[in-house]
Amino acid sequence: MKKVRRIDDLLFTLMRITVIQCFLACLFVGMSLAHDGRGQSALSQKVSLNAENQDIKKILRQLEKQTNVTFVFSSKLIQSERKATIKVQSSQLSTVLDQLLKPLQLDYKATDNLIVIKPDRSAEKVSEVIENKTDETINELVDRTISGTVKEENGNALPGVSIVLKGSQVGASSDTDGKFSLTVPNGEATLVLSFVGFLSTEIIVPNSQSQVDVTLKVDDKALEEVVVVGYGTQRKESLTGAIATVTSKDLERVHGGSTVSSGLAGKIPGVTFRMPDGRPGASANVQIRNMGNPLFVIDGIQQDAGQFNNISPNDIESITVLKDASAAIYGVRAANGVVVVTTKRGKTGTKNTVNLDAYYGVQNWSRFPNVVNDSYQWMAGKAEAEMNQFGKTSITQAELDKYKAGTEPGYQTFNWKDFIVKRNSPLSSVNLNMTGGSDKISYYISATRLSQNSVLGREFTFERSNIQSNVDANITDNLKIGVQINGRIEIRDQPGIPGGDDYWLPRFAILRNRPFERPYANDNPLYLNDIKHNETNWAYNNKKLGGYQTDIWRVLQSNMNAEYKIPGVKGLVARGMYSYYIADQVMNGHEYTYQAYTYNPSDDTYKVTGGSTNPWRERRTRKIIRNVYQGQLNYNNTFGKNTFGATFVAERQEERDQEQWAHSVPSNNVLPLMYFATMDTYDDKDNQLARIGYIGRVNYNYANRYYVELSARRDASWKFAPDRRVGYFPSASAGWRVTEEQFIKNLIGDHSILDDLKIRGSYGILGDDDIGIGPYDYLPGYNYNQGNAILSGNAVVTSRDKGQIINNISWFKSKITDVGADFSLLGTKLTGTVDYFYRLRTGLRGRKYDILVPSELGYSLPDENVNSDSQQGWEGALTYNGKAGSINYSVGGNVSFTRSKFISSYKPIFNNSWDQYRNSSEGRFSSIFWGFECIGQFQSQQQINEYAVNIDGQGNRTLLPGDLIYKDVNGDAKIDDLDQRPIGYTTSGQPNVNFGLNFAVSWKGISFNADFSGGAMYSWNQSWEQRWAYQNDGALNSIFLDRWHRADPFDLNSEWIPGKYPALRYNDGGHSNYNKNSTFWLHNVKYIRARTIELGYSLPKSVLEKLKMQRARVYINGYNLFSIDNLKKFGVDPEIAEENGLQYPQNKFVNVGISLSI
Amino acid sequence: MKKIFYIPAILLLLLSWSCNDDEFLDRPPTSILSEEQIWSDDSQVLSLLGNLYNRYYDLGTVKDWPSLGGFNEAFFSNAGSYGDFQNSGWNLDSWRTWDYTYIREINLFIQKCTAADKLSTASKDRFLAEARFLRASYYFELVKRMGGVPLVLEPLTYDFSGNPSYLQQPRAKESEIYDFIISEAEAIKDKLPANSTEKSRVTMAAALAMEARAALYAGSIAKYGVNTPQVSLAGGEVGIPATMAMGYYTKALTAAKEIISGKAGAYALYTKKPDLSENFASIFYDKANNSEVIFVDDFKLKSGKVHGFTISNQPRYGAEEEEGGRINPSLNFVEAFEKLDNTFAPIPTTDAAGKPLYYTNQVDIFAGRDARLAGTVMLPGTSFKGRAVDIWAGYQLANGTILSGDDRGAQKTLPGKTVPEQVVGFDGPIDGFEFTAQSGFYLRKYLDPVVGSGQRGVQSEVWFVRYRYAEVLLNAAEAAFELGQGADAAGYMNQVRTRAGLVTPLKASDITFDRIAHERRVELAFEGHYLYDMKRWRIAHLIMDGNTINAADLSKDLGKATKRNTQPWALWSYKIYDPTSANNGKWIYRPVKLSRVTGADRFQFGNYYTSIADDVINNNPKIVRNPNQ
Repeated sequence: MKKVRRIDDLLFTLMRITVIQCFLACLFVGMSLAHDGRGQSALSQKVSLNAENQDIKKILRQLEKQTNVTFVFSSKLIQSERKATIKVQSSQLSTVLDQLLKPLQLDYKATDNLIVIKPDRSAEKVSEVIENKTDETINELVDRTISGTVKEENGNALPGVSIVLKGSQVGASSDTDGKFSLTVPNGEATLVLSFVGFLSTEIIVPNSQSQVDVTLKVDDKALEEVVVVGYGTQRKESLTGAIATVTSKDLERVHGGSTVSSGLAGKIPGVTFRMPDGRPGASANVQIRNMGNPLFVIDGIQQDAGQFNNISPNDIESITVLKDASAAIYGVRAANGVVVVTTKRGKTGTKNTVNLDAYYGVQNWSRFPNVVNDSYQWMAGKAEAEMNQFGKTSITQAELDKYKAGTEPGYQTFNWKDFIVKRNSPLSSVNLNMTGGSDKISYYISATRLSQNSVLGREFTFERSNIQSNVDANITDNLKIGVQINGRIEIRDQPGIPGGDDYWLPRFAILRNRPFERPYANDNPLYLNDIKHNETNWAYNNKKLGGYQTDIWRVLQSNMNAEYKIPGVKGLVARGMYSYYIADQVMNGHEYTYQAYTYNPSDDTYKVTGGSTNPWRERRTRKIIRNVYQGQLNYNNTFGKNTFGATFVAERQEERDQEQWAHSVPSNNVLPLMYFATMDTYDDKDNQLARIGYIGRVNYNYANRYYVELSARRDASWKFAPDRRVGYFPSASAGWRVTEEQFIKNLIGDHSILDDLKIRGSYGILGDDDIGIGPYDYLPGYNYNQGNAILSGNAVVTSRDKGQIINNISWFKSKITDVGADFSLLGTKLTGTVDYFYRLRTGLRGRKYDILVPSELGYSLPDENVNSDSQQGWEGALTYNGKAGSINYSVGGNVSFTRSKFISSYKPIFNNSWDQYRNSSEGRFSSIFWGFECIGQFQSQQQINEYAVNIDGQGNRTLLPGDLIYKDVNGDAKIDDLDQRPIGYTTSGQPNVNFGLNFAVSWKGISFNADFSGGAMYSWNQSWEQRWAYQNDGALNSIFLDRWHRADPFDLNSEWIPGKYPALRYNDGGHSNYNKNSTFWLHNVKYIRARTIELGYSLPKSVLEKLKMQRARVYINGYNLFSIDNLKKFGVDPEIAEENGLQYPQNKFVNVGISLSI
Repeated sequence: MKKIFYIPAILLLLLSWSCNDDEFLDRPPTSILSEEQIWSDDSQVLSLLGNLYNRYYDLGTVKDWPSLGGFNEAFFSNAGSYGDFQNSGWNLDSWRTWDYTYIREINLFIQKCTAADKLSTASKDRFLAEARFLRASYYFELVKRMGGVPLVLEPLTYDFSGNPSYLQQPRAKESEIYDFIISEAEAIKDKLPANSTEKSRVTMAAALAMEARAALYAGSIAKYGVNTPQVSLAGGEVGIPATMAMGYYTKALTAAKEIISGKAGAYALYTKKPDLSENFASIFYDKANNSEVIFVDDFKLKSGKVHGFTISNQPRYGAEEEEGGRINPSLNFVEAFEKLDNTFAPIPTTDAAGKPLYYTNQVDIFAGRDARLAGTVMLPGTSFKGRAVDIWAGYQLANGTILSGDDRGAQKTLPGKTVPEQVVGFDGPIDGFEFTAQSGFYLRKYLDPVVGSGQRGVQSEVWFVRYRYAEVLLNAAEAAFELGQGADAAGYMNQVRTRAGLVTPLKASDITFDRIAHERRVELAFEGHYLYDMKRWRIAHLIMDGNTINAADLSKDLGKATKRNTQPWALWSYKIYDPTSANNGKWIYRPVKLSRVTGADRFQFGNYYTSIADDVINNNPKIVRNPNQ
């Protein structure tokens, strides 16, 4: 029994090891066979001739017409008087050539479809040279040169145009003046001219002509014509899904952050954006239609958000967002939409170009709360607060007078914010790339260095170096291979200070440190002052005293692919791809011990009275290795008006994530190594994942008018129990180009303003294995390492029963419906798109409530796939491109609305009607913020005394004029949790409404761009430091200057002077004003903020020519320069999420930059 | 057309690829053990048992500092905790527990361990006895907080039949749960080692100590429950008939005596150190041959199991981290400590005429008191980790005004001087300033004197004592007293008192309920007993009656078990600055009511037994609600 299984295992293992290799190897074997085979196949074509004493050249030309071959020969070899007679019927070409050429002592060699005719004697040598495809060899064989100029329609020379002799690989490209020269075989030559952005053109040059001038026409839609979809590309007009793209042109204007996501604000309809944290290296929260975290696919390989955010923006060719069922093709994790990134590639037949893009900018916080920088006001406020709270204070007027004078030690004022925040912090980026291509090989090689500082001094930094190397080679006409290598080193470096986030204490310090506290004892910079909460003493938050924390990620992703056009079947292509990803993290942290001093003026000494004797040394090492294997078959062919496409993909992904974290308590602040003797923690993790997908897709298009696409995917995930692993996810979409319909054309006439209209719809079922269960929840047994117990003095690693296994859960289904239209009007000046979508998720993890098992059972019934929710909304985008004289301008905008709703759970049970009202989510919008409705503020003590509702739970005895009045919703004359109602939206999630506006104007070399984006329908809850004064005994937030207060704070009988905020209390978050979330503190945010505003100047061609450059542009660029919103009065950034307002805000950037191309 | 063969060839390859999908998807877990792996090896069983040990329930524990300082025995010098002194008591769901998952896992352990055939009988017997102890301990915890609960002793399984009513079990009587605890202790005690050096695994003494405590609780509920007839249920789920009292007291005394007799191991009061206060404090951190400690939750440096109690509560000044000083014992508590002549007296701040008393040394005011005071409370003028505790509220000037500062160690210029100097302690007290000794005191119990114990990266390995010999003696004393054996009671109590320096023995006639209650309050302070003692004696609603405490109330009725304790008071010391006076440099003290203390606690009848959660009742309609809810 065992033996048999062993053999099986061995077989399977062998298969697993070899299958991928085999597959790739096969492709390569196919390639080498093809080398001969291709030539062979050309020669084995059947031809018929009936030539009597004809010019040999003419005979060859006839043969060319009957086959797809091209003959290359020198006219010296075949003089025009050489004639021959030949009669064949359906013979192989080789036979015919043998008959024809042998008598002339000529031989031939076939390479692909090119047949070179040469003297018999030197056959060997020439054939080798031909295979090496050097121009000289061709020169030897031919005798004619065609030269010419390529121009744009406006007459400007067009450099870099690829000129190829049709049917051969003989080619050249135009120089800066648009001039080219090409040696071709004698006889009529057909040249193919192509250049990105222009319509490809063929010209026939008669034998007699050696000079041609060609004008290329601009291809209007060239740039957006091809859109990356799952496992392939499609022409834009044939898209049937909700797919939007942003290209490098849009991205390269953003110099407002260090990650890719931070540049996506307002760029793509349906992509929601919120960036609550703006520290160096931070990323924005980006979702598609607020469906959750999207899947990222970079150059065909599924990747995580970190990899997406940290590729160099310079290297991105396009970002395509699959918003609906068109994402289904990506299967397993595509239920929340897919972001597909394509990096830049070189183009065959283009001139070598070197590009330099560099900018330097300065950053400042957009907004951050301000504090009252005045010891007197702080102390007077405290006295006022104590009078308000207790009716007495120990602070005397005499003391206050000393603070007012501010001269004596201890009574002075120190401005901590100015001390901590160092303005105009630098940001710079330099990108150098080279791109180009011969007729066979193209390349894009790029290196980027980005460096971002923080306004917190200059020791909080982010640096990233990226390389990207994309090389594609056409090995033969049928075989292409490509390699994309993407590497980066990411360094986050900052002082090591207490707390998990080293950026926290410096920000907290601004609100924590009081104005009469000073950083240095006796103002002597040699002695750190003991301010009693020294962790927020900025004078210590540096690498000298505090320590360091350096987090380095080194990431390398290599994709290798081969694409083979399978001969014999037109349009059939096989592809293989292998991707290897390794990410390596090394984080080193060391927090030093330090001393804080108190100066004693009586004997002029400095005494150690504080600090930390706690050294902290930690190191995290982590390695993530991912393998992705893909095999793909594509078929695409057109039969008359019918175009068929089919794709089949098999895909495997695996990942292993190993992580170690060690902590020690070193005996000194100097040496960096860690030792076993001082180590007390070592955490070790090793996790894997594996997924397999089989994907099939067919599309059909009739006359570019009707489009249908069907796809299905079978996915298996390691996460589920073996019998629940597999899920099937089909989707379908269709499109109708209304304006291609003859009767519509007739109807709207030739001069209609409507140029193009496509209506499309899609429906798909997508899956998700991220249902909230762990990978081994289906396995019974015991979890090891559940904390240590000390038994009999020894540490015992403990285990715990895993509890009820979850083996009945499988994929939940996400059903996305999308209906949309794409249109263009006014001679394609106005283009736009609108979409409505509805996503229904069923089978979400939940509990069946109809069976109540006693809690004494000791376990809950396992969750099942029973809950459902929905996400629905619409989005639209409109762009107008116009021209007035020599001014080109465009105006564009997009807006989207999306909202999620919980649909139902399985027979929910509520204890009472309140429970149902408050806690049910059935049929309700998600992310509702509950709180109290503030219906005003008390205007007088008398009003408080007479007020019938108990607001503070203590008979209103803690209330003062200015305090908040809450609505007694249930009318029970007391305010408690039963009086809550929905008052807002999500505070941490994405805005439900997102929009973007773009303006661009250009005139000659000058260009101006302004991009705006905004959001609405989300909330910020003002709390902690932003809600009550003196939180943590700290500084007095400036917003509380506008408050209810007595005319004379020391006189309880003096009159009240109204203000915005309630009367001061000293650090009293428990007061009824402050301990309830209410409409007074919750703000439903709306904002529009300037993103990129850029003014650029490109040098004119005349100057460029002298400089021998292709392009030179300088620009000045601002990002986040201003925002119009309703949070300005609270001094916080509109995208903030943290209630205390102390999040590291977004920055305003001002950059200057250059772009050069040589 | 041979090329056409490429297509099937490639398809074949792709298909062959799919045939080993399952193997590709099977990724072995790195931290899961199977049934077989666990139950074939003592050390894996211990690993599983260790987790059950770690989940033992304590109302108070060093792992959660506020849990040890409640009920106005201390003020919390921690801004986030001020609310505790501004409300009027406790919610009806306070101290709730209903962890039948824990019970189920213990029941599974017992079931599987019993069935395990690869373990030696000796190992199995001990493992099983330990598991039964842990189960009984948790039922004890349940009955203390919730009253009688369903007694589930087998792992239950729902059969998915759609009708779970067969799983619905009603609450047992309160007495039945106590009976179960007592009978379990009797059943397992002989399977456990009688070894006084084993502290963290259950021993015979631990089982007996649990039995004695449980029986004593049951006895006192039976006896004193008559005082609160409203705290009972007709079905006996809450409340024990008075007739059962004597039976329980007898069992308590018997079990306690079994330990005292030495049958369960060589236990004795800890008396290693000559300084009696130091000696008392050492019980809680001296792990070497500690004869007093019976059962602990143990911690160990560099093991991953350490705690931050010292970080949270050590004197703020000189602390390794920028925190500390959270539990500030109250003046009410400090005044509960007797004078060495067995009498009660307030801390003397003024003479009979109301004039302040001047002390040369700060600590003098506490002289002549029960040594346990300085062993439990960090007094002003003492030191910790070799550093003087700097607690003083300011200077009193010649004219009687106070010169102080609102920052730790703040500097001001004294009258007649030119440069500023320190006018308030680095440990405060400063009203409303967290981590300073706002009550004038810090806690000493459980503080770890080892250097580094206050470092976040190191923390403390001081154990948390669950059962110790002094409690066994006090349990014996109480049981004996209730059984009318006053002399025996005095004998047990005097042992404990002598160790505290109270060398004048109490006579049998001195032993009263108040004496018993008082002795437990000062000996077992901050060890998680106070609430349960107040509850079982049914005096919690008298001690915390919702009325505020004024200065005059403070010194009244000292030593009385029902003395009001609704608000923590503070005692602040001032240094005299009056160069012309003989009192210059001396100390005076003032009782202070902190401004953060605005509420007064009321213990409701509904607080005697925690309310049972709605979902528990929804899930099992046979569960009856607790009284007054």
